[in-house]
Amino acid sequence: MELLTNLLQGFGYLAGIQPITAIVLGVILGILAGAMPGLSPSMGVALLVPFTYSLSPQIALILLVSIYIAANYGGSITAVTINTPGTPSAVVTSFDGYPLTLQGKAGVGLGTSLVASTVGGIIGTIILIFFSVPLARLAVRLHPAEYFALAVFGLTTVASLGGKNWPKAFLAAMLGLLINTIGIDPISGVKRFTFGTYRLFDGFSLIPALIGLFALSEVFSRIEENKLEKGLEASYEKTHWPHLLDYWKLRITILRSSILGTLIGIFPGAGATIASFLSYDLAKRTSKHPETFGKGNPEGVAAAEAANSSSVGGALVPLLALGIPGSATTAVLVGALMIHDIVPGPLLFVERPDMIYSLFAALLIANIVMLILGLFGARLWIKVTVIPKKILLPAILAISIIGSFSVSYSFFDVATCIGFGVIGWILKKYGYPGAPIVLGMVLGKLAETNFRRAVIMGGYQVFFTRPVSLVLLAIALLSFGVPLFQTYRETHKKKNSL
Amino acid sequence: MEIIKFFEKGIGFWILLGAMIVILAIIAILIFRSSKRRYIGRILIPVFFIELALLFGILALSFPDRGDEVGPGVVPFLWIIGILGLSIFLLIRGLLGSEEEDPAWGSVLNVSLFIAMTILYLIFMQLIGYMISTFIYLVIGMYYLKYRNWKVMVAMATGWILFSYFAFYRLLYVPLPKGKLIEWIFG
Repeated sequence: MELLTNLLQGFGYLAGIQPITAIVLGVILGILAGAMPGLSPSMGVALLVPFTYSLSPQIALILLVSIYIAANYGGSITAVTINTPGTPSAVVTSFDGYPLTLQGKAGVGLGTSLVASTVGGIIGTIILIFFSVPLARLAVRLHPAEYFALAVFGLTTVASLGGKNWPKAFLAAMLGLLINTIGIDPISGVKRFTFGTYRLFDGFSLIPALIGLFALSEVFSRIEENKLEKGLEASYEKTHWPHLLDYWKLRITILRSSILGTLIGIFPGAGATIASFLSYDLAKRTSKHPETFGKGNPEGVAAAEAANSSSVGGALVPLLALGIPGSATTAVLVGALMIHDIVPGPLLFVERPDMIYSLFAALLIANIVMLILGLFGARLWIKVTVIPKKILLPAILAISIIGSFSVSYSFFDVATCIGFGVIGWILKKYGYPGAPIVLGMVLGKLAETNFRRAVIMGGYQVFFTRPVSLVLLAIALLSFGVPLFQTYRETHKKKNSL
Repeated sequence: MEIIKFFEKGIGFWILLGAMIVILAIIAILIFRSSKRRYIGRILIPVFFIELALLFGILALSFPDRGDEVGPGVVPFLWIIGILGLSIFLLIRGLLGSEEEDPAWGSVLNVSLFIAMTILYLIFMQLIGYMISTFIYLVIGMYYLKYRNWKVMVAMATGWILFSYFAFYRLLYVPLPKGKLIEWIFG
């Protein structure tokens, strides 16, 4: 009861021009930052921190979390329309979002991503409001062995992503994992595979790599195949938008992905990208038509978007309940709070309940504002798809180059982007998917550091003596084995029928 | 270990890379002359991955072992073993003809020229700055793809430059290259 009273007071605080302006402005800036390849949600929030110095702590926090929420959605816009994920988590959205655009149904992709993001964001916030303290305690008690098992579990999504091409998908994931070991070893400090160049001390940046693998490889394929005649959409006026009933059909997927996304978001270091991959995988496995995934199934878009938006609520759980930032963006938020002399943690609930509950209320309202602005914006963004490819392709290259450069103002990142573009183009031609490379790069650090920490703490047997780790590894083994067995059986059946 | 360290960087690395390319080229020629030429891509890609895994594996041998149970080389070795296993599996499939034949390639020359143009654009960006080089690159890029409406080309390139100036340079403080030549001329 006390919680609801506090929450109502939180809503009361937002009834003013300043908080509402902060939310609207934050959502607009967040969508733009998310849609711009090269600008991650954490960079979007970090860039706006200096502008909050003169604001009150509450308004500053509201502005920054609004950016955080909207940036996660913004990444899906370019993923759906031009196959250029604005954020790493939007990679998964592009699996079905872009095929929808190619079929002249960009409206379905954009509409689904918007609604799933909104609902996911709201569910994530509700879980944050009601369960933040116990969930945060659970997350920080996990042993490195369990984090490693979680990373392995994430990797098993490759089995269903790859389908009958599973060896190629796994090889691509292994390549991503190996690429991730380039740079200074996070545990021993040894330089690994840096080839004497200091530019590789931090390894390859993820964002230029994923822009190259998705956007540039697509541009190169189009030029090579000389598919340059029309825009992607037949006609803007004929664009099909989903009806309420279409959204209703996705309710189970959205709900399940939102809960999973929030839970994954709570684990420090896991984040929106892993949440999206796992939710997509789960949606595919439980779908009645798994074969339509990757070919323009709105369920795939809904699963990815609901998960990555709900992970925002999850990532705020350890931050608010324990003062531990679980993601890059929440780390930036800690910095922003400290500038205003606020130390996040359990004491904040006692000392500044007004701030906590106005933040909860702002999170809920920001999602609604995102829905409204997104509905207006979608009609503008869809116009991108009617631009002739002869104009669009050089423009995508220009966006990719400035996006890669913006990561650390380095031409090395731009070269990385082009290099990965060429690799992605060639590999795609031979049936090697690009997404597992990204997944490997995302999961590599989580898997390696926790594997080594776990072994140092308890030897190699630790993975099998801790129940949570053992269960997660067993589920991972099943998740890996079942799709492979199904693929084998289908191939065998086909051979027999011939 | 000293010999491995030699191959880690500098001339040693280039020798190793050169050897990789030569081996790949020899295998390519051999396949091209054999009955498996329709699978050349399907065979060469796993071969490349095997070479890459071996290269990384050799380099990983030089990582210091500080007596830890899991040193810096353990995890890379795990991934290398995975790559080797899967690549050998795919190579065998390619050699046995279990894979589909190679896909038909379109105009590789077009893509190569476009990539070369993009590399030139990056070089020029450092000389004449982001604004001028991007304008030229976008106009030439559209022309290269056989778009001929000059008004749209100029409007599009100008619009993008204005957007990137305000959004990236002014709002996000991205230090877009001004160009060494421009700085030298205008100070």
